[in-house]
Amino acid sequence: MAAPAVATEPADSTDATIRLLRELRRTRSRKQLANLAFWLYLAAFAIFSYGGWLVAAIVRALRRPPPALAETPMLLRATPAGLCALAVLVLVVVLWDARWRGPVVIAQPTADWLLDTPIRRGRLLRPRYRASVARFMLAGAAAGLVPVALLLAAGLGGGGLGDSLRLAGATMLTTGLLAGLGAGAASWAEAHAYSRLRLATPVGVLAVTVLAGLTALTVAFRMPSAISAVLLWSGPWGWAAQGPLALAGGSARFWPAATLLLGLAAAAVIAVGDRAAADVPAAVLRTRARTLGQMSAAMFNMDARRVTTAYRGAIGAYGQARFSIRPPLAWQLVLPWRDLTALVRAPSRLAWSALLALASAGLGALAVSAPHAALLPLAGALTLGYLAAAGLCEGARLDGDDPRRSAQLPFRYDTLARWHAIVPCLALAVLAGGPAAVLASITGHAALLPLVAVTIAVLVGGALVNSFRGELEGDMFSGFDTPLGNSSGITIALWYVMGPLLAIGPMLILWSAAIGSARASRTIVSVVLGAALAAWLFHITAGRARRLKGG
Amino acid sequence: MIEDNQDPLLALAGVSRSYGPLQALKPVDLAVVRGQSIALLGVNGSGKSTLLRIAAGRDTPTTGQVSYCGRPLREDSLVARAEIAVAGEVASTYPDLTVREHLMLVAVAHGRGAQAPGLVDQTLAECRLSDHGNALPGSLSSGQRQALQLAAVLVRPRRVLILDEPEQRLDPGARRWLADLLVREKAAGAAVLVATHHVELAEAVADEVVVLRDGEVIGRGTPDQALAVIQ
Repeated sequence: MAAPAVATEPADSTDATIRLLRELRRTRSRKQLANLAFWLYLAAFAIFSYGGWLVAAIVRALRRPPPALAETPMLLRATPAGLCALAVLVLVVVLWDARWRGPVVIAQPTADWLLDTPIRRGRLLRPRYRASVARFMLAGAAAGLVPVALLLAAGLGGGGLGDSLRLAGATMLTTGLLAGLGAGAASWAEAHAYSRLRLATPVGVLAVTVLAGLTALTVAFRMPSAISAVLLWSGPWGWAAQGPLALAGGSARFWPAATLLLGLAAAAVIAVGDRAAADVPAAVLRTRARTLGQMSAAMFNMDARRVTTAYRGAIGAYGQARFSIRPPLAWQLVLPWRDLTALVRAPSRLAWSALLALASAGLGALAVSAPHAALLPLAGALTLGYLAAAGLCEGARLDGDDPRRSAQLPFRYDTLARWHAIVPCLALAVLAGGPAAVLASITGHAALLPLVAVTIAVLVGGALVNSFRGELEGDMFSGFDTPLGNSSGITIALWYVMGPLLAIGPMLILWSAAIGSARASRTIVSVVLGAALAAWLFHITAGRARRLKGG
Repeated sequence: MIEDNQDPLLALAGVSRSYGPLQALKPVDLAVVRGQSIALLGVNGSGKSTLLRIAAGRDTPTTGQVSYCGRPLREDSLVARAEIAVAGEVASTYPDLTVREHLMLVAVAHGRGAQAPGLVDQTLAECRLSDHGNALPGSLSSGQRQALQLAAVLVRPRRVLILDEPEQRLDPGARRWLADLLVREKAAGAAVLVATHHVELAEAVADEVVVLRDGEVIGRGTPDQALAVIQ
């Protein structure tokens, strides 16, 4: 009887292959190193020549940190929950990154040319994983500066330079370890629980929200020490919070043990991630390599929209349509139907917009109730409102990306750009206008509601201006020379922020005028000027659309 | 070791693939033996590429099983990667490596380091890329890039060839060369599984043609029988 077809184990060619690839790419690696050195030099030069005053201010602030305030004891009460929230946020950022890139990632040509060969993947992937972990830990340590700055500004933990540096060192160490732990966990999840990885981010965001809420509550009310103890020993986030808390003057007696525990946990999870790196499925590696290639190209061209598209593709946002709305019979309703469909098919976008709109209404109410210190909350409210409006303009952005998409619709392209305002305006009226109306009627500021309505139109107008901006033009990179340097940076920045700048800036002035005076005429003037601003923004949108279409 | 020519190298049993509610491939049985060529024909979206991805171990079937040499096929299996050569959509390339260096890399990765220089030269000539050996891939035409993909298959050892529309972007002369190449591969004992829109290619190289529509096999048999189904 004939023998069955047999398969034979191939010889190990991994080292020879990696050596050859390294040899062939030596010139490129040298160039990359030289580029890195050049950028580091530029950064150092910029910091010491332009940012010298900032460095000096930081050193001064570390030497003589702000003294304790009257509110410092209250803030100290909130520190355990606040630090835990920031620690969980570090983990959320690492896990969010793992949804589209992760710590185990290779270049697209490597995915296309080497993954199909019988080289041992572990030896190809583990060095990448280790480099990623190192980068995550460095970034995590840098992120640790945020809580340090907050604590010092609150008058906590800074008796002098030594104390400030100890606080900074402990915080950076713990956030660095946390980021490393997150990277290890992400690598394991990529290899063994990839489909569940996408759940980690919303769960983490929920935890951060709860902890942030708890932080706000503990500023106002005393929290039982048992809750604080549970939080601080509930996991790596709590262990990470203990060192900074103790050095900030809080109660965390066993913080060295907690830090040691965090270090051991991070080492163990990083080691598990190292072993798992070899098992990350090739399909995942290919998808991520492709996404990274697309993102790099988009970022090189400074095309934020393409970056978003590549990211959304990577997280599976363009899969099967889960919701549908019956198409309308009347042609006038086609565009609202299309915008509504775009929104219901991206429910997370709608949810984010709702959250931002709610926060915007809350900040707006805060500003109205304290007119003497209204500028900051007003600016916050308008910025959050703009972001909510931008999230709701997905349909407009799709048409703005490519004028050919709407070629079959019974609208002129510039008219169509304006029609895209209907759904975002209505949605924002419900999401932000509703809560604003309730708050206004409770606080007795119902007279401001027409200004809320006008603000909604202005914010949507600003978002539409940005939706129809088109692609970044090549000549923007060249700019012209001025005594302060080349103008291209400012031109590009303006090109990106034109919409929000035109919407938020003037509305900030109009709102300040309206709530800064008891006279109704001020509000009426603000409403009229706001309406004119909205009309002007829709006019700019139409103009941009005409330019995109080439007409 | 002497092998039985009729023993399937690659076998798919009851393989199907669904993406959410969409069934991209309904249950299919397929087996390819040494020296045999099977061509998949069908319009876009008929399930050819899905079937090939599953056969290559690059996708996991919703139901059914794929086996290589009688053992379940795993994409991370060294044996599968060493012996199953796959060429599909045009791959990205290292922008700083020449055509020759790309092929060297593949040859070395497959343990052919010693004979790599000669083998690469020979393959470049075979694929009409001799004049472009020292060119960077960015300077190649789309047809030449497709030829580079096929060259990468030829510099490596292979018992099974899985090709997804290899005729794409090739001119008529190159398509004839491709057909000859696949016939030679068969004669050398390789099992060939090829998805194509090009009926002439299927007629020239296939021992069996499988016709797919909407993820379902609607006909299979000799090229003549299958073409009758299509017509």
